[in-house]
Amino acid sequence: MVKTALLILILSSFLNASLFEEECLYCHTNDFKFNMMMKKYTTKYSSEKRIKKAIFEYLKNPTKDKSVLPLGYINRFGIKDETFLDDKTLRDMIDIYYKQFNLKSKIY
Amino acid sequence: MYKSEKKTITYVLTLYLSSTLLLIATLFTSYYFYKKEQLTHDEKEVLKEYSIDIEDRLASLHEDNNERYEYPRLDNFNSAIYDIDKNLIFSTLNMQIDNINKEFFFKGSNSYYVSSIKPYYLGAAYTVIEKKTEPVNILNDLITLAIIVIIITVITSLFLVKLVLKPIRDNLHLLDNFIKDTTHELNTPITTILANIETLDAQNCNEKTMRKLQRIKVASATISNLYQDLVYLLLNHKVSSQNEELNLSEILNQRVQYFMQMANVKNVKLHVDIKDDVYLTADRQKIERLIDNILSNAIKYTDKNTTINITLTPSTLSISDKGKGMSEDEISKIFERYKRFDKIQGGFGIGYSIIKSIIDEYNIKIDIQSQINEGTKVTLKW
Repeated sequence: MVKTALLILILSSFLNASLFEEECLYCHTNDFKFNMMMKKYTTKYSSEKRIKKAIFEYLKNPTKDKSVLPLGYINRFGIKDETFLDDKTLRDMIDIYYKQFNLKSKIY
Repeated sequence: MYKSEKKTITYVLTLYLSSTLLLIATLFTSYYFYKKEQLTHDEKEVLKEYSIDIEDRLASLHEDNNERYEYPRLDNFNSAIYDIDKNLIFSTLNMQIDNINKEFFFKGSNSYYVSSIKPYYLGAAYTVIEKKTEPVNILNDLITLAIIVIIITVITSLFLVKLVLKPIRDNLHLLDNFIKDTTHELNTPITTILANIETLDAQNCNEKTMRKLQRIKVASATISNLYQDLVYLLLNHKVSSQNEELNLSEILNQRVQYFMQMANVKNVKLHVDIKDDVYLTADRQKIERLIDNILSNAIKYTDKNTTINITLTPSTLSISDKGKGMSEDEISKIFERYKRFDKIQGGFGIGYSIIKSIIDEYNIKIDIQSQINEGTKVTLKW
């Protein structure tokens, strides 16, 4: 039973990871940009809970007010399109994003 | 130094010292807390500076494009950072902090300062600075200072009390010197009068002259008694006691005979109930002084045509009169030297002072029972 549960967990994490590559890294290939975005969210929202919430709300309904990017950048490139991912998948993707790029785990 | 003088000095010193000590304690306590508050404030200012320092370092770390971030570690303080939801991000603190709601606090031997920062560099919304507390070392200095102030206060108050008591002291010395001189001058005439009265041939005198002679004899005995008291007072502390086993029954009988004439003048009867062969180890002169003073007081203060009861048992001597008596207040002050309650009767007010010094020397207990207008009963127990 335990073995089965462990197997499912590993499989699902692999599946999620590949989904993250497919849904996110496909466009955002550059780690540097992802790092910059995480820094901006961390500077504005501080905690994991608030950062994830802010990212989720922005991706679901992107507006100028919710964006953490500088105004000049938004004026030039515009606001991104609304996500087509369902809530659960989006949350999973955000979790993976936070796990890989959060600043807290990089402090030593 | 007189007993009353000692008492006054003790009272004044106690009062003066306790009020001064209270004042010193209040001042020093206030100063201690003020100083502690000041040190706390200084400590807080130092921690505040460290907090700004760590904030600057976090900002610069945040701007770096490193893969990993090395948290700033400094020699003179430790720090920790918390996110906006008060979750720990990173810490170099020696102790775990559960509550960061207070701005400044002490825990163990450390002081802590919590400050909020924005923007949240590396996610840090709060920084906590930890520093070893500088101990407040003013208590020992304060105690030393307090001891010095107390010593100065004691010396000053002693000097002040002596200064205030000087006039009273001078007056008492004057009185003592007067008594000393008087005593010296009384010696020869009293001896002469008493010796000559004894040699007078009673058979050659008529009744009227006889009565006159009796009165002179009584008056002389009174003066002699007073003289003996004064001599005792003056020499009491200079002559050591010649203790021997005394037949108290014999001595008491002799003293009763001696005072018989004095009692006759007031038509006072001396009713004696003396057990034979009662012995006591003491100085003869002192025991005579003791008996004489109690007996002469009884005769002096008893009403005319009354009876004085003198009872001696193996362990008690009681003499009771039927006179004006004394109040409780008067009894409590009876042993004070020069204390007289009756200005009409003569005397220096030294009788009971002498009694007290003798009974104290021989551990004899005294019990004075007195009722106003009914009389006084003095009982000695040994």
